[in-house]
Amino acid sequence: MSDTIRLTVNGEDCTATVPPRAQLAEVLRDHLDLTGTHLACEQGVCGACTVMMNGKPVRSCITYAHACDGAVIETIEGHRGDPVMDRLRDAFSRHHALQCGFCTPGMLATARDIVARFDDPDEATIRHELSGNLCRCTGYVGIVAAIRDVAGQRRTEGGRAERPAPAIPARSRSFTRFDPLPPEATPAPAAAAARVSDEGGATVVRRDFTLNHPPETVWALFRDPRSVAPCIPGATLESVDGDRFQGSVEIRFGPIRARFGGHGTFRNDDTTREGAISGQGDDKLGKSRVRGDLGYAIAPGTDAATSQVRVELRFGIEGMLAQFNRPELVAGFVDYILAQFAANCDAVLAGGAAAPARRLSVFAMLWAVLKARLKGR
Amino acid sequence: MKPAAFEMVRPADAPEAGRALAAGDGAVKVMAGGQSLGPMLNLRLARPERLLDITALPGLSDCRETASHVEIGAAVTHARIEDGDCPEPIAGMLRHVAGGIAYRAVRNRGTIGGSLCHADPAADWVTALTALGAGVVATDGTGATREIPMPAFMLGAYRTALRPDEIVTAIRIPRHSPAARWGYHKICRKVGEFADAIGAFVADPETRICRAVFGSTGGAPLLLPDLAAHAARTGSPAGLTTVKTALEHSGLSLSAVKIHQLAVAHRRAVEEALADV
Repeated sequence: MSDTIRLTVNGEDCTATVPPRAQLAEVLRDHLDLTGTHLACEQGVCGACTVMMNGKPVRSCITYAHACDGAVIETIEGHRGDPVMDRLRDAFSRHHALQCGFCTPGMLATARDIVARFDDPDEATIRHELSGNLCRCTGYVGIVAAIRDVAGQRRTEGGRAERPAPAIPARSRSFTRFDPLPPEATPAPAAAAARVSDEGGATVVRRDFTLNHPPETVWALFRDPRSVAPCIPGATLESVDGDRFQGSVEIRFGPIRARFGGHGTFRNDDTTREGAISGQGDDKLGKSRVRGDLGYAIAPGTDAATSQVRVELRFGIEGMLAQFNRPELVAGFVDYILAQFAANCDAVLAGGAAAPARRLSVFAMLWAVLKARLKGR
Repeated sequence: MKPAAFEMVRPADAPEAGRALAAGDGAVKVMAGGQSLGPMLNLRLARPERLLDITALPGLSDCRETASHVEIGAAVTHARIEDGDCPEPIAGMLRHVAGGIAYRAVRNRGTIGGSLCHADPAADWVTALTALGAGVVATDGTGATREIPMPAFMLGAYRTALRPDEIVTAIRIPRHSPAARWGYHKICRKVGEFADAIGAFVADPETRICRAVFGSTGGAPLLLPDLAAHAARTGSPAGLTTVKTALEHSGLSLSAVKIHQLAVAHRRAVEEALADV
C-alpha cells in the first residue's frame, strides 16, 4: 500500500515510504523529523502548516504524499542561502512579530511569498495576503511591520519583487447604455419549498408536499415504520419493538458519506393523523452525532384522491459533520430528498417499489430527516 | 487527523478516468487539487476507497484561445489565473475572481475544474462563470465530449449535471468585446472564507448581452435577467427594494438576512462595473 516518494527537502535529497493518505506535513514531521512545520486545523484554513513547494506556498495538511514525488520543499528549517528569508527572520525578531511562535513557520512562508510577489506591498495588501495565516497572539501589527520593513529595505536598494503579477488591465473607458437582447432560456431554479430556520441552536426544516393517494392510505403507510422506511433514501430499519425502533441511514452528499446507526421512539395519533419521531444516532467512522425530532401530519389534499403531507424536522449535529452544517445548504437539498421520498411513497402506494437508494445522495443534515423518518415510522 | 486509507491512481487519459469513476459507484472520487476534498478527507467526512488524480492528464493544464472563446483546462490552478497566465475573455475579471478565492497557498493547488465539480454554492467560479456565459466541457468513458452551459451544470449544493462516467476537461468562456464591463462583489465575514453572498454583473454593449448573477444562495447561482437589463439600460442598479422583491419571488428559500446581503452584493457589483457611467 505504501509507495516510496523522492523529494528534495531543504536542499537535501530524501525518500519516504508512505501510504497515499500521508499528508506532506506528516512526511516532514514523522518521517524526516522536521517538526518545525506545525499542524493545527488540518482543513487548510489556519495556515500553520504552510511550506514552500517548488517555490510556492502550499498547505502541507491538504497536500498528499503522491503529489510531492519529485517536489522541492523548503520548510522553516531550510531556506538556507536565501537572504530575503534571513531578513524576514531578523525583522520578525525586531518587530516582535511572534509571541508563542506556533504560527511563525507558516507565517514566514507566506511572508516570503508576499515579498516575492509584491514590489511595494502596502499594509492593506499585506493584511489581505495574511488572511490565510491565523495568529492569535500578536494582532498582526508586528508581522505586517516586519514584512513592510523587508520590502522597504529591498526597495531602498533598488531591488524588485522576484515574481510580480502583471497589473490587472483597466476596464473599458466608455460604456454605452443598451437595450439587452432577450436572455437565453435558462432552467428555472429548482424552487425550494422547504423553509429552513435556526431555532435555539437547532436547525428546523418545514415542508409540505402532496401525494397522489387518499389520506387514509397515506396514513397507513406513514404510521408503520416497516412500510415507510423503504421510501426513505438510504434508510434501513433494523427492528421495531413497541414504540421503539433501531435503524441506520447512509447519506451521500457530494464527497461526504456517512452511515448513521441509531435508535428512537415514535408515536402516532390515528384520529388526527399526526405523528412524531425522536431519534439519535452516530456515525462511528466519521465521529459525528445527530439527534432530531420529526413531526408529520397527513391532511386531505385538494381532492379526495390526494393528500397533503406536512413535515417539521428539528435537528442538531455534533462532531465533524457539524463543521459542514451550513443551514443555507439545507433548503435545496431537503427539496431534492423530499422529492425522492415523495416519489418513492407514491410508487410504493401504487403497488411498486422505491427507487434503489444507492442512486440517491442525501444531505448530511438531511440525513436526520431521513433517519428520523425511517426510524420513525 | 489522517484521512482513512485510500488508493491513489493516475489515469492515463480522460476516458480512462471516466470509466474508473463510473466503476467505483461513489467509492471513487476525482481529485483535481484537493483543496476542498482534502479537508473532508482529513475530517473523514469523505472516505473514498480510491482517488483519481487528474491534474497531470494531457491538456488539462493548458489555456487555449480561439477567435470566439477562451478555453481553460480543468486542472489550471486559481493562482495561475490570478497571475494572468491565461488569456482573458473579458478584461481583468477572471484574475480578480481567482485572486479572491480562499488564500494564496490554497490557490496554488486548487483548480478551476475541481471547484466547479465540487459545486459548493458559496464558491466563486460557479457564479462568475455563469455571469460570463461559460460552458463546461465534459468527456465520458468512451471519449465523447459535450459542452454543458453553466446554468444547466450545477443542479444544487454539491450536485452537478455530470454523468457517472464524465469528468470535466475544460471550461469555455466566450470572449467579450473591449467595451464590456463587469463587477464582482462578495460579502464574507473574513477574507478568504466562504462567501455569505456574491453579486456578479457582466454587460457587453456590443453583443447586447448582460447577466446579473446571485451566488451563495444555498444552491445553484441565480440569474435574474430583469435586474441585469435594468442596469444595462439605465447604467445603475435597481433599487434595493426592487432587488429584494425579486429575490423574495425567486422561488428560493432565502432568509431576510441572506436577501439583504445578496441585494447589497448585487448593487455593489453593478456600481463597480458602471462606476463612471
